[in-house]
Amino acid sequence: MEESEKSSQSTISSFQVFSIHVCRGLALAKPENCSYLKAISRGLLGLPVGALLNALGALALGAPVGLQYFERTISWTLLMSSLTFVPTACVYGSCWTDWHRIFACTKPKGPLDFMLCLPAHGAVIGAWFGAWPMPLDWERPWQDWPICVSYGAVGGYVAGMVGSLALALMRTGGKQLKAE
Amino acid sequence: MAPLTCTKLSVITITGVIIQIIGLSLFVFGFFPVKPALPGTSGSESFYAPTCDFVGNLSDTTLPSDQLKSLYQELSGIPPSFDRLILMVIDGLPAEFVLGKNGKPPNKQFKEGMPYTQSLLASGSAIGYHAKAAPPTVTMPRLKAMVSGAIGGFLDVAFNFNTQAMMDDNLLGQFFRIGWKMVMLGDETWIKLFPRLFERHDGVSSFYVKDTVQVDQNVSRHLGDELWKDDWNLLHNFNWYYFQILHYLGLDHVGHIGGRSSVLMVPKLKEMDEVVKLIHSSINQSQGNRRGRALLVIVSDHGMTENGNHGGSTYEETDSLALFIGLRNHVFDYAPVIKQIDIAPTLALLFGVPIPKNNVGVMIREAFDSLKEDQHLRALELNAWQLLRLLHAQLSGLPCRNFPCDAFYDHQSSDSSECNHTTENMLCCLYMEAAALYTSWKSKRGFESSSNKDYRSTAAAYYKFLKSASEWLSRRTTDKPVKVLVLGLATMFISSVMLSNLMFCRLREIYHGGKQQASNLNDSMNGWSFDETFIISVVLILVTCMTSSSMVEEEHYIWYFFISTFYLLLLRKTAQSLSSVGLQSSFPMQKGKSGEGYFRICCIFLLLISGRILRGWHQGGVNWTSLPDISKWLEQAGSQYVKPLQLISAILVISIGLFALFSIESKGKYFQMVRLIFLISGLLVLLHITRYQDFTFSSTNYGATLLVQIIYAILGATTIGTVVALPWLIPLSTSKISPTDNTISPPFFPSIQEKFPLVEFRDSLYVIGWAYILCWCLLQLLLQQPINTTPILLLLLQTVASVLYFLRSGTHHKEWVEIAGFYYLGMAGHFALGNSNTLATIDVAGAFIGISNHSTFLSGILMFVITYASPMFILLSLVMCISTKSMAHLVIPEKENAGDLLMMMLGFPCLVPLVINSILLTAYTVVLLLMQNHLFVWSVFSPKYLYVCATTVCTFIGVFIVAATGSYTYFVLAKRKQKACTRVYSTCSS
Repeated sequence: MEESEKSSQSTISSFQVFSIHVCRGLALAKPENCSYLKAISRGLLGLPVGALLNALGALALGAPVGLQYFERTISWTLLMSSLTFVPTACVYGSCWTDWHRIFACTKPKGPLDFMLCLPAHGAVIGAWFGAWPMPLDWERPWQDWPICVSYGAVGGYVAGMVGSLALALMRTGGKQLKAE
Repeated sequence: MAPLTCTKLSVITITGVIIQIIGLSLFVFGFFPVKPALPGTSGSESFYAPTCDFVGNLSDTTLPSDQLKSLYQELSGIPPSFDRLILMVIDGLPAEFVLGKNGKPPNKQFKEGMPYTQSLLASGSAIGYHAKAAPPTVTMPRLKAMVSGAIGGFLDVAFNFNTQAMMDDNLLGQFFRIGWKMVMLGDETWIKLFPRLFERHDGVSSFYVKDTVQVDQNVSRHLGDELWKDDWNLLHNFNWYYFQILHYLGLDHVGHIGGRSSVLMVPKLKEMDEVVKLIHSSINQSQGNRRGRALLVIVSDHGMTENGNHGGSTYEETDSLALFIGLRNHVFDYAPVIKQIDIAPTLALLFGVPIPKNNVGVMIREAFDSLKEDQHLRALELNAWQLLRLLHAQLSGLPCRNFPCDAFYDHQSSDSSECNHTTENMLCCLYMEAAALYTSWKSKRGFESSSNKDYRSTAAAYYKFLKSASEWLSRRTTDKPVKVLVLGLATMFISSVMLSNLMFCRLREIYHGGKQQASNLNDSMNGWSFDETFIISVVLILVTCMTSSSMVEEEHYIWYFFISTFYLLLLRKTAQSLSSVGLQSSFPMQKGKSGEGYFRICCIFLLLISGRILRGWHQGGVNWTSLPDISKWLEQAGSQYVKPLQLISAILVISIGLFALFSIESKGKYFQMVRLIFLISGLLVLLHITRYQDFTFSSTNYGATLLVQIIYAILGATTIGTVVALPWLIPLSTSKISPTDNTISPPFFPSIQEKFPLVEFRDSLYVIGWAYILCWCLLQLLLQQPINTTPILLLLLQTVASVLYFLRSGTHHKEWVEIAGFYYLGMAGHFALGNSNTLATIDVAGAFIGISNHSTFLSGILMFVITYASPMFILLSLVMCISTKSMAHLVIPEKENAGDLLMMMLGFPCLVPLVINSILLTAYTVVLLLMQNHLFVWSVFSPKYLYVCATTVCTFIGVFIVAATGSYTYFVLAKRKQKACTRVYSTCSS
């Protein structure tokens, strides 16, 4: 009972996060490149694709398989997808070079790339660290499958956001100084 | 720093390994002292003074029990005062609950919980003691200590982990020998310890800790029955003596669930009190019937911490209870402290049986109050003789060694000033003093006037000797020699520093030494890339995790997590290189490269998928073993699914191996023979699987054993034959460049090939490597449980996939990263085959396959082969892995010589496993030292340490095989090439 409540909560929260991201992606996307509508549709398309990729990664790393975990895994992957995949999908669509630059090589250019790259990496690394308490025998409710991983992901994401913000501010500050 | 040469490298490595072995053995023997135990059981000779030649009197063991009993009675001179013993074990009851602590009465609620027992204590008809238990405070070793009076070392616990029958001399065996009937109700550990002794028993499992009611009801429901049955026997004039054991587990379970202050605790105490009341009233009743007297002994095997756990050595855990009801009344102001082992000699002397041979305990003084003076002193003498025998066994330099032979000992004693020099002298002197006093007391016994004072001083002298001897003997078994431990640790530390330093030297030489070559190589060779950081942080994280007992229990999750993360990182890296060239360009050559990239991605997917299946195969560890996994699922589905799966996996393993052997293009007759023999042995293994594997565990089938022995012989002969003969027989080719080499930079290659047959070297290593792999896999197919066949196939697939991946990725990864990845893969596979860090998962049944007569050595080897299947497999496959590498581009052309090349080929494959293992070993030794007072030191950390030691041995053997094979092949080929060259020159000149 409690678990299903929790998973539904996390589904809801993942949709909230998703909508925030779409909005943010819209704010980032420059109107001259593409319309808002296009960005929204890209984001909506990116959500399941990212969820699938995240699910595969999680399964490879040892997420539990089974019908009783199915719903929880789905909600977690939606959350992860909206943290990592959707913003970039909104901004860059399916342009392979940009994806490659941001995710494979981690060589972001400019504040926009930083805003996409750092939080996504933060979320993944946070989720990785969040999985550590799971096998321990503390018998706490939050040690169940997606919960502490989600906490880790959100924590890492927030850290990435703060970091990217700071970097962006520093960069722009530096540029302004140079310009003066 | 001077560049490393091959000789220098190998000398330093070998020195490091030897130092490490010395350090490890110092530490192990310091930390886990092996206690010298006397074999055999005490017989009638224990009633005589120790003689010069300690030849046991074996004749009396064949006597029938009645005669033996009367013989003992006659010899001991102490008439047994009881003919019924009821031993009530309340698992996990701290003495504090009944007797209080430090002279204060127990907590009010606990006191009120046991009103009857408290009233007995107050009236003096029950005598209570704090019985100090020795660590490890877990049930089985404590029970052993109580009935044998001996303190076992940890290794005893470890080796007897599967609760095999107790072979040492003990009270139950002694009682059984004189014809007592035994009844056991409660914890089934007793039945495992003494499988054939009990006339009636009803064991309950201590496994379901959540059950606090049923475990005790199962004992109590027989209680009335047993007491009644006894009377029935009496009615029919059966003169049977009874030893009844009641083992109540409920209180321990209450503790495990809720700790000391659990709400269930007081009701449980009340229940126990009711049982005490019931038994005591039945004893009183039967005494009214003029039956022989009965002694009720209530003991607990260990205490518990505030949280209800036990296993460690804190006061709360070691404070166990010993309560005697039925002795002469004795009221204490506060309960004295004895040792748990003191129970054994006390009971033995009270009941007139010989004291168990390895007993370290001292008889409890108050228990003998009812005896006459001479009987009391005789009991003391018997106890002293027994301890003296044990001292002789442990202290070869005991100066009073030969005193009974001399017969002068009573004249030269009682000079107490000599009693202070050494331990030996002191113990000896104390004994002589007591013995002399006893003799003089005996001679003066007629004169009543002085004997009381003499009696007291004699008894005091005996107790003084017994106490100090017992102290010394028990300290010897638990004391850890700090100097040895520190020395061992320091030695291990030095060796791991040596090895790591060596590796970093090699790294610097290869990757930073030749700057002119670095420009040729890929960019990623110079930077400190992410996967390298990860490989190093794996070691650091692992070391940190090992300080937590839960993480030690669940170590497999760490390895699975690491290895799949490592593959995901490789995937990312492949994706990086893939699209940087793949999509933008249209050159045909680079298209080929992107094809390579896709191939690598496929390899990684294969690795990830098979890794995930392996992870799900066995739900290992301690806490989550009950969760569903594939092996349980298959076993539930029945053998009609397991068998075909097993056959398919076995056929696939054999065909992969044979295919790999066939894939080398060489037409020598010798190769054909190797292939043929492996094919035959594969078929034999299949035959064994289809025909015999169902029966091997149940019965010793002659045909099966013979077949297995034939397979062992063929595999051994083929593998050794291949290794020895192949380098001599492989044809020396005349072609310069093998077609499979496309990464070798052409300018250097011919010059090396002129001097040295590189292609032949790699070809023969390839064949030898596959021979190793195939041999090992076939062995595992034979030995492992049927359910583990598929994991072996998956492991083989993983190995092949990673070799292919690293082969195709060329210079993207540094070699040491690859080797470390292999090592981690082996550790993950170790757990995937169902192993864990508890000793319970060792497959004992498989260790007797193909052994016709019992041999501890051979079955030990087989057990090692089964348990370390995966790490050894990976190390053996390193030989094959080396052969796929082309190190020629790394040799500096000007300085190239034979040794350099060998160092290039073998350096990292040997160094990396050694370095990783030595770091883990040293770190874990530090952890064990830090944790030596931890709660779980005996249950979690020490078993893990045994595994770490075995892994070290495995690494040494594997690395030795790799190094020996490599150097042997190399030298043989070099010699042949030299000969061939001189022949060519001589034909040219002539």
